[in-house]
Amino acid sequence: MASVEVELLWAEKYRPKTLDEIVNQEEIVRRLKQFVKSRNMPHCLFAGPPGTGKTTAALALAHDLYGSGYVRYVLELNASDARGIDVIRTTVKEFARSVVPGPIPFKIIILDEADNMTADAQQALRRTMELFTSTCRFILIANYPSKIIEPIQSRTAFFRFTPLKKEDVVARLKWIADQENVEYDMEALETIFELSEGDMRRAINILQAASALGRVTVEAVYKVIGAAHPTEVREMVKAALAGRFTEAREKLRALMINYGLSGVDVVKALHREIFSAELKIPEELKVIIADYLGEVQYRLAEGADDEIQLSALIARLAMLGKRLRV
Amino acid sequence: MSTRLPWIIKYRPKKVAEVVDQDNAKKQFIPWIKAWIEGKKPEKKAALLYGPAGCGKTSLVEATAKEFGLELIEMNASDFRTREAIERIAKVAATKYSLFGFRGKIILLDEIDGLNAIADRGALNAVLDLIEATTHPIVLTANDPWDPKLRSLRDKCLLIAFRRLPKRAVISMLKRICESEKLICEYDALSLIADYAEGDLRSAINDLQNVASISKHITLDVAKPILARRDRQYTPFEALRSLFFSKYAWQAKRAVTSADIDYETMMLWIAENLPYQYTDPEDLWRAYEALARADVYLGRVKRTQNWDLLAYVFDLMGAGVALARKKTKFKWVKYSFPQKILLLAKTRERREIRDAIAKVLAGALHISSIVAKREVLPFLRIIFNENPEYAARIALGLNLTESMIKFLTPKRYREVLRELAKLKKTA
Repeated sequence: MASVEVELLWAEKYRPKTLDEIVNQEEIVRRLKQFVKSRNMPHCLFAGPPGTGKTTAALALAHDLYGSGYVRYVLELNASDARGIDVIRTTVKEFARSVVPGPIPFKIIILDEADNMTADAQQALRRTMELFTSTCRFILIANYPSKIIEPIQSRTAFFRFTPLKKEDVVARLKWIADQENVEYDMEALETIFELSEGDMRRAINILQAASALGRVTVEAVYKVIGAAHPTEVREMVKAALAGRFTEAREKLRALMINYGLSGVDVVKALHREIFSAELKIPEELKVIIADYLGEVQYRLAEGADDEIQLSALIARLAMLGKRLRV
Repeated sequence: MSTRLPWIIKYRPKKVAEVVDQDNAKKQFIPWIKAWIEGKKPEKKAALLYGPAGCGKTSLVEATAKEFGLELIEMNASDFRTREAIERIAKVAATKYSLFGFRGKIILLDEIDGLNAIADRGALNAVLDLIEATTHPIVLTANDPWDPKLRSLRDKCLLIAFRRLPKRAVISMLKRICESEKLICEYDALSLIADYAEGDLRSAINDLQNVASISKHITLDVAKPILARRDRQYTPFEALRSLFFSKYAWQAKRAVTSADIDYETMMLWIAENLPYQYTDPEDLWRAYEALARADVYLGRVKRTQNWDLLAYVFDLMGAGVALARKKTKFKWVKYSFPQKILLLAKTRERREIRDAIAKVLAGALHISSIVAKREVLPFLRIIFNENPEYAARIALGLNLTESMIKFLTPKRYREVLRELAKLKKTA
C-alpha cells in the first residue's frame, strides 16, 4: 500500500517505453523499427508540432536498440537550456570519448529544440556531428524544420510528425483515466482534445490537473484551462482599453513576476486573448492590435527591453480605446 | 501621485519688488520700460538681459508686465524658423494698440542663445528686422551674451547684466516658500540646497520641492541623499523634470544626456514616470512610441557596435518624448524609482525557486526549462492549490523542497507539508 503513494506526472508515467507501444505515427514507427532490425541508423531529424511524440519516439528507439539499460547509451541535450554551442560541443566530446561495450557500435545524442539554435551554432553543430559520426548518432528534434540549415537537413534522415488524431488522443486519455481509477465524462475528454490542439503532453497535463479537482467534467476542464491562463491577461487588456494605464501596467508586472512569463509569452497570450470570444471589441480593432503585437514580438526577439516595449503596447491600447469611445 | 503646481510657477514674482536681488538690473530695466510707456521711445529698442540660469531674467520681465499692465507676448526662439511666424510677430510688433485694454506690450524672446547660428541664420536676421521695425519694447534673454553669433544683435540692444544670486538671497526665498507651504525646515538643509544651486534659484526651488515631496520636515538628512550626487550633472529626478519641461529639442536631448546615470537606466526612469506626467492618452502613446523606437535603436547600436547610431537614441528618448506632449499641461508630479529594477531585486529569490522547479520538471519530463515553465508549471499550480493530498504525493515523487512547495501554493503550502509529513511516516 505504502509504495503506491508517490505520484508521478502522468505525461512521463504514461509515456510509451517501446516503439510497439506508440499507437500513432505508424509510418515513422515502421521506419524506426527497420533501424532496430539492422542495428544501425543514420543521423535523424524529427520535426513536428509539440506533443506529437518526437522525444517519445527517440527514447523508445533507444530502448529498443539497447534494452532497458539504454540510459547509459543516450545523451539528452536541450538546445535552449545548454548555454551555447561550446557547451554542447564539450558535452558531446566528453560523452563520445567513453566507449561502452555492447552489440551496437554507436551511442545516441538527442538534441531537443534544435531549431532554437542560431545558424552559426548549427554550422558548428554540423562539424561536431561529422567529427563523431563513427561513434555517435544524432537525433535532432525541432518544431520548425525550416529553421534547420540546409547542410544539416541534407545529412539527416527526415521524419515529419503530424498532429495526433482526435480518436487517438481521446482513447489514450480514456486509457490513462481508467488506469488511474479517475471518474470522467467522455465529453470532458473530447473537450480536452479540442483545447490541447493535438498536443498530447498538454492533453495529459490538463487531464491530471482536472482529476485533482475530482470527477473530470467539462466544467473541471474549463476551470483548469482558465486557471492556467492567467486572468491578468484579460484584465490587463480591459484596463488598457479603458485608459487605466498604471493598472494595466501592474497586471503586466504581475504576469511577468508571478507567472514567470517572458515578454514574448505575454505578447502571445495577448494575441490569444484579442481573438477570444470573451473579449468584446470591434473586429477591425483586433487586426490593428494584432499588427502591433507582431511588431512588438519582433522587437523583443531582437533584444528590445520588455518593460519599455510592453508599456508602449499598453499606451497604444489606451489610445485606441479612447478613439473608440469618442 | 500628488499633482501640484510646480513651485517655480506658483512662486513667480508678481511685482518688480518681489524679484529676488538684481537691484542693478532693475535700475536699468525699469526706466527703459517706463520710457516706452510714456511714449518716449528709447535709443535702443531692444534689451538683452543676460546672466546665469535661474537668476531672474524672465521673472523680472513677467513681473514688470504685470505691475505696469503690459501685455506680455512671449515668443520662443524656435518660432522664428518659419516665415509665417516671423510675419505674425512683425504684425504684433507693428500694432500700436492692444485689444485687451493693456497699456502696451512687451515682446519677449526667451533663450535667444538657443538658436543655432548656422541652421537659423535667417532667424537672427528676422530678429534684427523686428528690432528695426518695432513699436513696442523687445526683450531678449540669454545665458551668454558674448557668444560670437549674437554680435550683431548686441549692438542693437541695451545690455543688462544679471548676477549670480548670493546664497543668502536664495535661502531667504526658500524660507518664504517653506512658510507658505507650512513646511518645517532646518536652516542647514536650506543652506545645503542653496549651496548646490550655485545661485540658480529655479533649481533651488525645484530641489526644495523634490525634498518636500519626500518629507514635510526638511532636514539635512532628508535633503542630503537627494542632492548628493550632483556635479552640475543631473540626478535622474532633475533630468526627468528638465526633460518633461523642455520646449525645444536641444533642451530635451541635453536633459537625457546630462543625467548621472547611464542611458539605459535613464530609459527605464522615463518609462516608469511617463504615465504620471502625461495624462492625455494620445500624448502618452506618442511618448512611449518614441521611447520604444529609442530602445530599438539602442538594440541596433549594441548588435552592430555602430556607436554612431547612439545619437538617434537620444533624439528619440529626449526630443521624441518631450515633444510628444500636446494636450497635457505640465504639472508637478512626484517621480518614482523604476519599478522594474526594484522588482527584479525583490523577486530574485522567487525567480530562482521558479527556475529550480522548472529544472526539476525539465529533467523528469525530457523537456526544456522554458517549456516546463510555460506548459507544466501552470497545471502543477492548479493541483497544488486544489488538492493538497495529491500535491504531497507529487512533491514526494519529484523530490520538491519546502520553498518550492511554498512557491507553488502560497495559500495552502502548510496543508501540503502536513500531508507530505504523513506520507513520509507511512513510507
